[in-house]
Amino acid sequence: MTMRLAIQGLGPVGGFGSGTAALERALVTAASCPHLTPVPSFSADTAGLEAFVERKTLRRMDHFSRMAMLGAFLALEDAGRLTAGRERLGLVLASGYGAARTTFAFLDSSMDHGDVCASPTSFSTSVHNAAAANIAIVLDLHGPTITVSQFELSVPSALLTAGQWLTAGRVDAVLFGSVDEFCPVIEYGLQRLHADQNPPPPQSSPGGTVPPGEGAVFFLLTRVGEESRYGVITDIRLGTVANGEPRIATDAVVVVNDQRGAMDADTTAPVPAPAPPRAVSYTPVYGRLPVGPAFDMAIAALACRHGLTAATRNHAEPAAHPIPPPSHLLNAPSITCLVLGRDNTFGLITSSGRG
Amino acid sequence: MTTKEQLKQILVSDLNLEDMTPEQIPDDSPLFGQGLGLDSLDAVELVVIVQRHFGVEIKDMQEARSAFQTVETLATLIDERRPTT
Repeated sequence: MTMRLAIQGLGPVGGFGSGTAALERALVTAASCPHLTPVPSFSADTAGLEAFVERKTLRRMDHFSRMAMLGAFLALEDAGRLTAGRERLGLVLASGYGAARTTFAFLDSSMDHGDVCASPTSFSTSVHNAAAANIAIVLDLHGPTITVSQFELSVPSALLTAGQWLTAGRVDAVLFGSVDEFCPVIEYGLQRLHADQNPPPPQSSPGGTVPPGEGAVFFLLTRVGEESRYGVITDIRLGTVANGEPRIATDAVVVVNDQRGAMDADTTAPVPAPAPPRAVSYTPVYGRLPVGPAFDMAIAALACRHGLTAATRNHAEPAAHPIPPPSHLLNAPSITCLVLGRDNTFGLITSSGRG
Repeated sequence: MTTKEQLKQILVSDLNLEDMTPEQIPDDSPLFGQGLGLDSLDAVELVVIVQRHFGVEIKDMQEARSAFQTVETLATLIDERRPTT
């Protein structure tokens, strides 16, 4: 669907830290470091949330909601709209797995103590829309709120909803966010998956995989008309890889979300993207997670805003992660973020600095 | 450990009273409103906590209302009703 959405604010939270400066730093220095035991993974710290919300308000919020809440506040702050009216502000959240830690904790408590003694708070915070509801309450949003889950295609799918709300005039701005978390059950699944690979191949090798990650990214979106701070989203598409699809502009740089090694990834599907340097992947910066394309969108937005600063990493030395220098994205007429889903499906989001 | 001490520990951990330690909770401090500042959602959680940790079922609203006044009143109810092992 061709639509034009202006990005006014950005709020990333992940293993690299929180805020646009932290993400830029990670891109330039390849500084994101996974926790190494027992399964290498990126984890997000939400301590910064207390700068925006009283601690007692956070008491019942789980890690999933806190990551989302921090991302939302950072995006509003970045857009200079922390105190602006929220009467016609909508909220669309994308999540592949939802609040995985709380969901499995609730299931465990049901099995251990019986359904009568399962925690009602855990149940209410385990539903996918809990984070969006918490944000709407704390921010006093008066617009519509929804959570969309379509595994690895959650981001483009939810973004279509945000675009439709803006196009239809239902709201004046949308806080569009994506969040997923790492949890012991996912860790266990990965340990079992890689049990026959001892040690697992390093991520820089051809068969290697990027460590799993967690985090949230929020965007403040408006209709095109007012000046866009981070470029314009010009195209959002979902489809099936067949008959030449997905068609991508020949001069676009393609940011490919790398899902190799995910528990449910369809590793047999060919990636319908051009060869490097026109195709790059930034998955090693934030880790592998279903809403990874939102991080790619954020990186594209940064490139659209002011051009990422030149990479300072010494390229003569082997990088900690195979992260392409961000200069690959500079001056591209458009940047297409591509993700493959199961059953040969794809999602793509194209943005351009030339709004 | 007394029931009151046990209860205070459970309140802090299960209700995420992050700014409080069990030792800081007075026996006669109101659980709801002023005092610990619990609310109606905590009340539902509290019913489950008491059943899960102490095996005491609270089904009657009237009974809950009087037991949920303070740590002291709740511990008294638990001690009265707790199954003997």
